[in-house]
Amino acid sequence: MNNFLSLTHIIVEIATVICLAAISVSFILLLFRIVSGPTNADRAVALDSMGMNMMGIAALMAILIPTTKLNDVILLIGILLFIGTLAVAKYLEKGVIIDRNLD
Amino acid sequence: MSNLAVLPIIIPLIAGIILAFFPKKLALVRTLTKVFIIGNLAVAGFSAWHVFNHGSIILETGDWAAPYGIIIVADQLSVLLVLTTNIMAAACAFYAPYSLPDRKERYYFYTFFFFLITGVSGAFLTGDIFNLFVFFEVLLMASYALIVLGGDKVQLRESVKYVFINLFSSMLFVTAVGFLYGTVGTVNMAQIAQRVQEVDQQGILTAIGILLFFVFAVKAALFPLYYWMPKSYAVPNPVISALFGALLTKVGIYSIIRVFSLIFIHRIDLTHEVFIWIAGLSMIFGVIGALSTNNIKLIIAYNIIPAIGFILWGIGVFNQEAVSGAIYYLIHDMIIKASLFLLVGTIAYAAGTSDLRKFSGLIHYYPFLGWLLFVSGFVLAGIPPFSGFIGKLLLLKGSLADEKVAVVIIALLSSLLILYSIMKIFIRGFWGEKDDTFEPKPVKGRTAPVVALLALSVFLGIGAEFIYPSVESISRYLLDPANYINAVLEG
Amino acid sequence: MYKPNDLIFRTTTSLIAFILLGFSIYLLLAGHNSPGGGFIGGLMTSAAIILMYMAYGSDILRKILPVNYRMLIPTGLLIAAGTGIGSFLFQQPFLSHTYNHFHLPVFGDLELATAMLFDFGVYFTVLGVTVTIILSIAEDR
Repeated sequence: MNNFLSLTHIIVEIATVICLAAISVSFILLLFRIVSGPTNADRAVALDSMGMNMMGIAALMAILIPTTKLNDVILLIGILLFIGTLAVAKYLEKGVIIDRNLD
Repeated sequence: MSNLAVLPIIIPLIAGIILAFFPKKLALVRTLTKVFIIGNLAVAGFSAWHVFNHGSIILETGDWAAPYGIIIVADQLSVLLVLTTNIMAAACAFYAPYSLPDRKERYYFYTFFFFLITGVSGAFLTGDIFNLFVFFEVLLMASYALIVLGGDKVQLRESVKYVFINLFSSMLFVTAVGFLYGTVGTVNMAQIAQRVQEVDQQGILTAIGILLFFVFAVKAALFPLYYWMPKSYAVPNPVISALFGALLTKVGIYSIIRVFSLIFIHRIDLTHEVFIWIAGLSMIFGVIGALSTNNIKLIIAYNIIPAIGFILWGIGVFNQEAVSGAIYYLIHDMIIKASLFLLVGTIAYAAGTSDLRKFSGLIHYYPFLGWLLFVSGFVLAGIPPFSGFIGKLLLLKGSLADEKVAVVIIALLSSLLILYSIMKIFIRGFWGEKDDTFEPKPVKGRTAPVVALLALSVFLGIGAEFIYPSVESISRYLLDPANYINAVLEG
Repeated sequence: MYKPNDLIFRTTTSLIAFILLGFSIYLLLAGHNSPGGGFIGGLMTSAAIILMYMAYGSDILRKILPVNYRMLIPTGLLIAAGTGIGSFLFQQPFLSHTYNHFHLPVFGDLELATAMLFDFGVYFTVLGVTVTIILSIAEDR
């Protein structure tokens, strides 16, 4: 039983490290997309996915350390990301973020 | 009564917060400002009296013991400077309603004014080098707001320079504090001083000392680093210039005095020798700047640089008389610079321009202003029996005792030129052709604070016998770091 | 005039804004010993308010939330500074804080610290500053 637990422990650890590496690669690709992105919409989407990757990294770190305190942080990143993406999307569509009167 | 030490920081903070609730009700705001500043002056005076009679007040905030918690140290030097700060702040508060347009006063001027006083008093009173950084930031934030207040074009151009140079030096400051913490493992100034004597690798400490000196020299506008200062101090309103000229650079030089008399005294032959040369060069270049311009506000702003040079000279020589002279000169200069900035602001308002080539013969319309300028020129240059003379005399005696003759000659020569640069305003602006089309404006409310400051400054000279003993005891206290260390760590 | 179809946005906003406000209160109260505190709580609340501004426009929001955010800044500062000065009343050094355990009817045993009051001050200051900055940039016409 004990052997089995330590085996799963090792598997989880290895899997986490592999995931971290994969996310880092995706970060680099997304950075390229942000810099080169032909349109602003591409850049917005790339920024959004970058934020998702950030949440992923925080979650993986929470597994590695291990701690539960990072859960709030993940939620926080998600919310700020949501609002940021909304603002960018609204800007791209209308040119204004906070209008005076919508009706 | 240990909370007495923190009151000069707290009262302006609370005052600034309260005034931020109703910036638009100008009459109420002005009255409250005067009430608060007089109250703060009284508290500062009382704490000065208390410290001079019963010894330093050490406040461990939050009840955390000395090397671990943040401490506020009200020793004789700090309370004297806090008192001087409050005196000149009171003069500025009484001058401000006449000088600032109502529009600018409504942009939270008085709030930032009080936050500036908070930062300055905090920087004087703190006993912790990281908190020195924090209070520097407090006063810089307030000064950024004050320098762009109103948003005129020329103000914005100069303030960009000001903000960038100060951000850069703040960055270096926090880096230097980080190095210091890494080397000696504490940020409490008394404990740093204690450990600096024990560390065997003193080379790195000297390097950190020079880095800190660089930071403070940027803030104090010393020789190679003064280029940002004169113009950005000359463009804002006279009240704001007076606050900046009399307080911000003096906080920088105060930090040099504190740090280089308490902490970095292990290589006096290296660091303090350099100070003397920087001081001499500051005098020369500052005076050249003051002579080169025809803008009366710029003349006064350039005159800050040699004054800072004189104070640094005292630290460089570093004996009893020279340090007394430096402290005397520091206090004298805070008061006279504030009064000169306010006076020149008044003259520029009265003449309608600050360009010396565009007005003359003002003495026919404003004889009182003219003679005020005449007297303050004498005070600034140090003609006996005024207060500048006492400070310079002590500095001269101290450095002649150490056989540093070259800097003495530079200092005497530059004093003469300082006198000339002020007299230039008097000769060109007040003498000369009377302009018959000129319409005089009322300046009564503006002259009262100037007269008060000038009277105090004259008293500093004539009543030197009352003040000199306390200055001498301060310098004796500064020259032996054990006093400070024992007061903080064992008191 | 061009009219966007904001239906989804508005529907989700009415839901998400309240989740955000609740989360911000949680963060504010969670502080002191775990991640959170007045600063991040204030940021979250201002995020919720900005979200509502984006969805409904500033005219409507000014009717719904008639708050002068500029007034929140000195209020928060006063609370924060007041917790420091409060220690004067008990003959303690400036900024002294204390805590105790309380039995409250719903929450049970609770540890309450005066440092939380300081966090409330920070919360209001951050909320006021952030919303003031964003609105004054956005409404620059």
